[in-house]
Amino acid sequence: MADIFPIGAFSVEDVKAGVEKTLKLSEGWGAAEAEIVLSVVESTSIQFNKDVIETAKRSVKTGYGVRAVVNGAAGFAGTNVMSGLEETMRAAIASAKVMEADPFFKSLPEKCGGGGGGGGGYQSVGGLFDDKIVEMSLEECIGCAADMISGVKEVENMIPTSGGFSRSVSYFFIMNTNGLAGEKRGTSVSGFADVTTQSGEVSTAYDYAVSRRNELDFASIGKNAAELAKKSLKGISVGIEKMPVIFHPFSFSDILENTLASSVDADNVQKGRSGLAGRLGEEIAVSGLSVIDDGALAGGIASAPFDDEGVPTQRTPVIEKGVLSSYLYDSYTAGKDGVKSTGNGYRPSYAAAPSVDLSNFIIEYPPSDIIAETKKGIYINTIIGAHTANEISGDFSVEGRNAFLIENGELTTPIKSVMISGNVFEMLKNIDGAGRDVKNVGGIVTPSIRISEMSVIGE
Amino acid sequence: MDRVQYYDVNQVEGHSMTIILDNGELETVSRNNTKGAGIRALCGGSWGYTSADGDADLQAGIQNASELAASMNRRTPKERIELKTVSERSRRKKIGSMPVIKINPDDISAEEKAQMLRDIEKCAREEGIKSTRVSYSEAILLTRYFNSEGDEKEYRTVRSGFSISAVAAEGSCYQAGRESRFNIAGYEIFERNDPFSLAREAAKTALELLNAKTPKGGALPVVLDPELAGVFTHEAVGHASEADLVLQGDSVMAGKLGEQIAIPELTVIDDPTLHEYGFYPFDAEGVSPEKTVLIKDGVLNAFMHSRETAGIFGGESGSAGDAGRAGNAEYVGRAGNAGYVGNVGHARAQGYAMPVVRMSNTYIGKGGASFEEILEDIKDGIYLIGSRGGQVNTGEGVFQFNAEKGYLIKNGEITDLVRDVSLSGQTLDILKQIKMVGNDVKLHAGHCGKAGQTVPVTDGAPHISISKATVGGA
Repeated sequence: MADIFPIGAFSVEDVKAGVEKTLKLSEGWGAAEAEIVLSVVESTSIQFNKDVIETAKRSVKTGYGVRAVVNGAAGFAGTNVMSGLEETMRAAIASAKVMEADPFFKSLPEKCGGGGGGGGGYQSVGGLFDDKIVEMSLEECIGCAADMISGVKEVENMIPTSGGFSRSVSYFFIMNTNGLAGEKRGTSVSGFADVTTQSGEVSTAYDYAVSRRNELDFASIGKNAAELAKKSLKGISVGIEKMPVIFHPFSFSDILENTLASSVDADNVQKGRSGLAGRLGEEIAVSGLSVIDDGALAGGIASAPFDDEGVPTQRTPVIEKGVLSSYLYDSYTAGKDGVKSTGNGYRPSYAAAPSVDLSNFIIEYPPSDIIAETKKGIYINTIIGAHTANEISGDFSVEGRNAFLIENGELTTPIKSVMISGNVFEMLKNIDGAGRDVKNVGGIVTPSIRISEMSVIGE
Repeated sequence: MDRVQYYDVNQVEGHSMTIILDNGELETVSRNNTKGAGIRALCGGSWGYTSADGDADLQAGIQNASELAASMNRRTPKERIELKTVSERSRRKKIGSMPVIKINPDDISAEEKAQMLRDIEKCAREEGIKSTRVSYSEAILLTRYFNSEGDEKEYRTVRSGFSISAVAAEGSCYQAGRESRFNIAGYEIFERNDPFSLAREAAKTALELLNAKTPKGGALPVVLDPELAGVFTHEAVGHASEADLVLQGDSVMAGKLGEQIAIPELTVIDDPTLHEYGFYPFDAEGVSPEKTVLIKDGVLNAFMHSRETAGIFGGESGSAGDAGRAGNAEYVGRAGNAGYVGNVGHARAQGYAMPVVRMSNTYIGKGGASFEEILEDIKDGIYLIGSRGGQVNTGEGVFQFNAEKGYLIKNGEITDLVRDVSLSGQTLDILKQIKMVGNDVKLHAGHCGKAGQTVPVTDGAPHISISKATVGGA
């Protein structure tokens, strides 16, 4: 492990000893239960402005997150000062003491069945760690960024506006007073390119890719973005009408992330903030659609043997053949509903208590040549404004970017400006096609999806 | 090793607390301690940046950042970056007036804060409200800065604020009302704003929206309330006036300095010195900021700069000299035909991340029209209120915002309430279509994300009217 942390400011063994000691002390300080996580992320990123590679960043982010339970309430505290763990435990206990007993709180997760401590007992999930990413030199990182820039410049009159490459190596360790212990690690590389025209009419586009392994084709990230921006030139205006709309994986995942994701979060369901509350077993989508949350997906960008509170990850069908089959749970919400956690307790960083989040969210629908099958419609590559959706009702109104008319089975004229209004739950019932172009967009794995009819508002 | 021409260090140390009351129950009481440093070094045309958490060894950090910059510059040689010089006058300038903090949040117990949230929640829990969420947060930060040019300074800020959301439901219809107030202030945030009436306001909005209609979309005359006009100002005008985006060719404002882009009544300002949520006494490059007038009497007047972007703007025009402008602004000199191109002092960072050109407190200045005059003038259209957020493509100037709610305007009168309304358009078109600027400027605090970093900002405006914009509905 030690070679992951080139700074050598601490050893994992010392950290584990300190964690064990602090957990023991917590009882004397009034905690009925306690949990400590350590997160270390070592990363390099290379950024370019226009076609100039300008900045290299290297950082190691380290921190402790501590939960302490007093009288049936869990308080939280975090720190990035490695010598401050005991003080942080006291702060978490002080936080818990402010709170009233929560009758729904059962306990912190129990240790995973089977093997003993020290990470034992968990399944192994393949494809999450690539030694080549750990060892990547600055020169190789610069090379990846340079490849993206040359990919953009392969297309006439196109230039990057900004973009970059990044690699990261992460290590996560958890231990609680119920004997649960585990460590997980992962690597990732990603590339992003934002492009524009060098002269004449302005047309922009972006492309992005991420992987657990060092296997991305960086030149094609640049080239894809440049080609899309080029094709989007000389856009026309469309009127106001209802027609079939095909969403590229980028735009479809953006909508799901801002609507469906919060609706299947058990915490929102329990608190009356989900349009899917009380609807388990109901047909909420077309029968061809299945949606699976899979935290154990081999090579998945959000995969790990266990979630951020030590619960093993699993494959959870959320929508099975159109029927709502499960919500997603962390250990607290699971305790409240008297079910098992689905292993969806995640933390945005060590400095936050865990809460429900998607892992890998996989959209399945029988694939076909959807563009060729569409007589008239609109194809939307990306959207802006998805985060303004009403995440409870599922209503949204977004601006489509790099949109094209579909005429007689072909992408034809680009559309300058188009607003798409709809409701995610109606959309799920109106899906009538999926492409063969499955893409992993930051954990949401989806093909292009066709909706039979949507409101399209031109300029 | 190639010579490193510059380095600087931002060191941050602080603590924060968040309390969340969800449906009347304390869901989160969370405390965080942060300490660390971000170090930049410039070698030729390459930046190296390293960060270290906790008790960082700064000398080692400077060494690492320098090696990174030098090694980058060896591998990708390019034009040297000339940072805009900061004048001795500005450098010696004492930190200007700091906001007065009346009640240090550390002096109030967590129990008392939790009780305040419970009292607020009771006001939001009106009949028909299905769920509520009230949160409070505070952050006390000490920022220390030094660089290779001998600057060394520090300041301490206290920020706090609260937000309230109430959700009303009827069948499968869910509507939310939200209110929030944040400021560069201590626990007196609850004295300066009446949280109880805001809670009732959030509940009222949610309940009213249950029975609101969704309007037909299309191109319509619109009136924006100060909050939504502020979001437009920030998203559409402000981001496009950030010099780094201008230089990347990612702004519709590029090449337009000195051009009349809106009616003479329109003035847009970014002012880091205002004692509002976006305040800072010096930026992440140690520069004491000044007010920057982005649009002056309808003319694009200035961009917001870091020392790097200012150096490039000045350099391109062959002049970075101080042409004797009045005032104390550490501005970028007259740049050839472009003239005055803006002020440095706009580099900000979240914590000790790499500094980026950012806004602070951005607003449309006071115009002459009253709200009634604006309505009368627009006759028929839609009045859009509040914001659920927005997004902009600065390169093409295309933006999209969602209003919290709206009212149809018929014959100069406000009539039916509508919901699910959004506004989209092209920045330069909309600026040209601005008809009237109101006299009732209001500021609203929020958070702005750019380059993966979030910083506190304020947006503001008076009521404004736009002769035609695309409104999205059903």
